[in-house]
Amino acid sequence: MANTVKLAEQLKKLNELRGPVPQALRDRVAAQTKAQKAIMEALKTGPKTAPELAVSAGLPHDEALWHVAALRKYGKLFDVAGRGDYPKYELKAGEAK
Amino acid sequence: MSPMEKIEVDTLVVGSGIAGLQSALDLADQGFSVAIVEKAPSIGGKMISLSKVFPTLDCASCITTPRMASVSHHPRIKTLTYSTVDAIKREGKTFTAAVTRKPRYIDEKECISCKRCEEVCPVYLPDEYEQGLGAKKTISIPFTNAIPQLPVMHPEHCIRCGACARACPKDCIEFLQEPAPVEIKAKAVILATGYETTPMTAKKQYGMGELPNVISPMAAERLLAPHGPYGRVLRPSDGKVPGSIAYVQCAGSRDKSIGVPYCSRVCCMYAIKQAVLLSGSLPIADITIYYMDIRAFGKGYEQFYSNAKAMGINFVKAKVARVTEDAEHNPIVRIERQEGTSAPEEVKQDLVILSQGLVPGCDVSKFGLGTGLNAFGFAQLSDETVSSAVTAGAGVFAAGVVKGPRDIPDSVVDAGSAAMEAASYIRKL
Repeated sequence: MANTVKLAEQLKKLNELRGPVPQALRDRVAAQTKAQKAIMEALKTGPKTAPELAVSAGLPHDEALWHVAALRKYGKLFDVAGRGDYPKYELKAGEAK
Repeated sequence: MSPMEKIEVDTLVVGSGIAGLQSALDLADQGFSVAIVEKAPSIGGKMISLSKVFPTLDCASCITTPRMASVSHHPRIKTLTYSTVDAIKREGKTFTAAVTRKPRYIDEKECISCKRCEEVCPVYLPDEYEQGLGAKKTISIPFTNAIPQLPVMHPEHCIRCGACARACPKDCIEFLQEPAPVEIKAKAVILATGYETTPMTAKKQYGMGELPNVISPMAAERLLAPHGPYGRVLRPSDGKVPGSIAYVQCAGSRDKSIGVPYCSRVCCMYAIKQAVLLSGSLPIADITIYYMDIRAFGKGYEQFYSNAKAMGINFVKAKVARVTEDAEHNPIVRIERQEGTSAPEEVKQDLVILSQGLVPGCDVSKFGLGTGLNAFGFAQLSDETVSSAVTAGAGVFAAGVVKGPRDIPDSVVDAGSAAMEAASYIRKL
């Protein structure tokens, strides 16, 4: 497992070399986390399409789809089998908590 | 600081696409030692990201992955990924290449490819392997069948939370890793640097890459791949299953206005292939190919084209004047037919693919080895009628698209030719 002393030393040295983490990056990650939480929250009420998730999460449609693709890749949700112009997505078991 | 890594081989192969892999394997199987240098984090080049190949519709990764595995396990091939060839100097009868291994920010020897670092990383990025349609993490293994299966960290996107290091069971995250120089001595060099596609911004009439549902053919390949970004064919603006899809041929070739007057030789066939695959994935979709001429010149290509027509793909001989979009991001294709009525017409589509052309992946003249360039920036052969691999630089050979646009079968044949020429050259030294 990680050597916590080595990790702390590396991160300290990194901050010295590169300066603090840029605020713009922190803001981007915070917005990303918020968007994904909103999508996951919206899916707790049942399967939804990407445009429906975009409305629920207050995101542009293309951005919502990108987050859906990300959450799908990392095993948080899956496609619901079925037909229609827009596929629906559902939370994976255990992700609804 | 650790001492510079030095490698001595018979042949240096620059690039690990299908041509580079094949050249390396052909040489190594004859008993020559090879070092193959790849700038990307995985070997495999463009081909590994394709869904299927024309005209056989064989799975592209089923063809590429065994070659990638053979190269990485070959006792006479040394593979350097995520490395750049900065310079190659000729010194008498040998070449000395200055190579830089870019830092992955992990201990490559210790990493067991468990992906725990990737699982816990909280920062998502557009995944260039998925042409930006999908996501990856700041530390991630490039793609499922990447070789080597080693993650790369992008420090400019890292928030230094340390989650990856805490999750790593082998304690192999190295935040302070630096680029490492490598020196490679070789008797011959094979240039297999491949191609890039013309940019989506090449023609301002086609949306300048800003219309979400006007995509590149490489993005279409990823949509068609079974492990693609959405797991099925959807359009990027809103996740709709497209009901109408159009291909704009010669969107990056045969056009002096963008500096690419030549035919890229593969666009007709990849468009037909993708159209056939799309019609399989989306049986009720209306698929149209707007073309100037269809150039189906290889073995079985004309039959493949005929089969596509028989399957219901619409081939419309027309020039596309411009591509715009409506309020719902539906692309509007303005065409002028070249057969029958020539009155301009506007056609609404759900998804449009611009058949981009091929341009050189690297200016190989920068190495100063005597290899010249043709008028379009591709490597010039000394005499094409005598050899398909020999360049004007003694001991320097070219394989694949570095010499000009060609398809996968031709690149593989070329690679064999380059390996044979290199072997013959080395034997005479």
